Amino acid sequence: MYKKVAGGIMLLSVITNFVMAQDEFFEPGFMVGGYGELHYNSAKLGEADASKIMDFHRFIIYYGYNWTEKWSFKSEVELEHNYVKDGDGEIELEQAFVNYHTDKFGFQAGVILPSVGLLNDFHEPPLFLSVERPEYSKYIIPTTWFGNGVALYGQSGGFSWKAVIHEGLNGDGIASMWSQGIRGGRQKGYKSNAKELLYNGRIAYTGVPGLRVGGSYSTTKALRSEEGAKPIGVSLMETHVKYDANGIMAVAEWGNISFTDHSVKSSTGYYVDLGYDIGRMLNLKGKLYSWIRMTDINPGVGHDSEEGMHYSKIMFGLTYKPINEIAFKLDYSTKTYSEKEADKVTLVNLGVGYNF
Amino acid sequence: MEQISGGRNINRRRFSLVRYLVYSYGLFIFSGSQLIAGGIKDDAELLIKSYFGNEVSVDFKKVSVDPELQRTISKKVKQRFYRNEVYTWKIMKDDDIRGYAILDNVKGKSLPITFLVLFDPNGQVIHSAVIKYREPIGGEIGHPNWNRQFLGYTADSLFRVGQDIDGISGATISVNAMTRGIHKLSYLIQTIKNKL
Repeated sequence: MYKKVAGGIMLLSVITNFVMAQDEFFEPGFMVGGYGELHYNSAKLGEADASKIMDFHRFIIYYGYNWTEKWSFKSEVELEHNYVKDGDGEIELEQAFVNYHTDKFGFQAGVILPSVGLLNDFHEPPLFLSVERPEYSKYIIPTTWFGNGVALYGQSGGFSWKAVIHEGLNGDGIASMWSQGIRGGRQKGYKSNAKELLYNGRIAYTGVPGLRVGGSYSTTKALRSEEGAKPIGVSLMETHVKYDANGIMAVAEWGNISFTDHSVKSSTGYYVDLGYDIGRMLNLKGKLYSWIRMTDINPGVGHDSEEGMHYSKIMFGLTYKPINEIAFKLDYSTKTYSEKEADKVTLVNLGVGYNF
Repeated sequence: MEQISGGRNINRRRFSLVRYLVYSYGLFIFSGSQLIAGGIKDDAELLIKSYFGNEVSVDFKKVSVDPELQRTISKKVKQRFYRNEVYTWKIMKDDDIRGYAILDNVKGKSLPITFLVLFDPNGQVIHSAVIKYREPIGGEIGHPNWNRQFLGYTADSLFRVGQDIDGISGATISVNAMTRGIHKLSYLIQTIKNKL
């Protein structure tokens, strides 16, 4: 017995050593980062006077700590609209998870992001051309979609994948905000109901420099609080592609949310960006993209008021990036609803965004 | 008698416990030293041999980069040195220098990225690779297709992501860090290659 204990101590010390030993190229420590964006928005509905606002839309602090090469903690805290009072503005813990990482796969547990679309995982302002995030990333994919859960991820060759088990969606929120897809159903990690979970899987290919092609599938049953009401079945399928090389910026995303037991049969939409770095022709040190975006969003397919919410939008813009981490943006767009009587909306946005 | 006998047993046990702890400590130190001596350095040497062939000899040296040189290079490439010393190799075959290799870190989003750059005798990049990537995202910078973009590069090349170097969607921080890191080592090799 005594020898077994002593042998156990010996074995434990060796195992501990293998687990804890680091090479000279790694030291435990913390890391701070962040991103943010200031916007000026002007919106004109038909012939009415334009509304004009300035908004420091997002301020995010990233904090991480690395215990070992494999074990780390990562977090992001967000302040939206610069101020929180009486239900306006938000403070959110968008990410806070323990991460275990090896060369082939990894594991996360905490407040995490389902891997859906181009912008839910990577949403720093210099990564997209427009001042505001694409509306597709609001009404089809409810970016930033975050909550409590666990994830497995991995990479092999040019392919990467992620599988997520996540808190589900609130069916009441989806029902009451039917014109915004599943956005109203996010639980945001607040004492989330875990009776039904969300299952999400994504695969992407990045083997060619500048190219990313991927797709994901997510499914859950969104619970209702009303007695006898059936949960809303939700299945989100999306695909995305981005090419950013040789001065060309081309982005396309398409997604469809199918519902059961809901007043809406599906929410569907897409957008396409085409841009070119004209800074190359002007011999600028940074990058100056001239670009166009076409968007179509139909959040209420099969709903009585479908035509009133289905719109298309065309947007033109200029985005200047003096360095890759800072972007100054200007865009002009018109939004046209399928419903013929609806007024056209004209929008002008200016903004600056950064990440570090 | 029983008490004496019992006391002897306790002494023997104490002796055994001390002996086991000493052995454990020895094994602890030995296994740790083996792990530190191996690992990343071995991985780098494997890659060097797979590139140049097993018949070459490699001469390993740790090189300290003095603060003044760090400042000069950092200013040019807009990236600080992560460490004050780098691992270097001189690759020889039949008394001829076939090339050099430098192993260094750059800062990723929250963890260091350890990478190796191989140079020809004139200091031109002939190969680059990620030796250890520790982040959950951005590991795509280890793909050979992306690293191929640096072939033939020297310190005087542009090294600008989005212009001569294509980025990777979802790996922006890593792409910028590694591009500047390779640029940094391209300057460093010019200064240190004659001392290796």
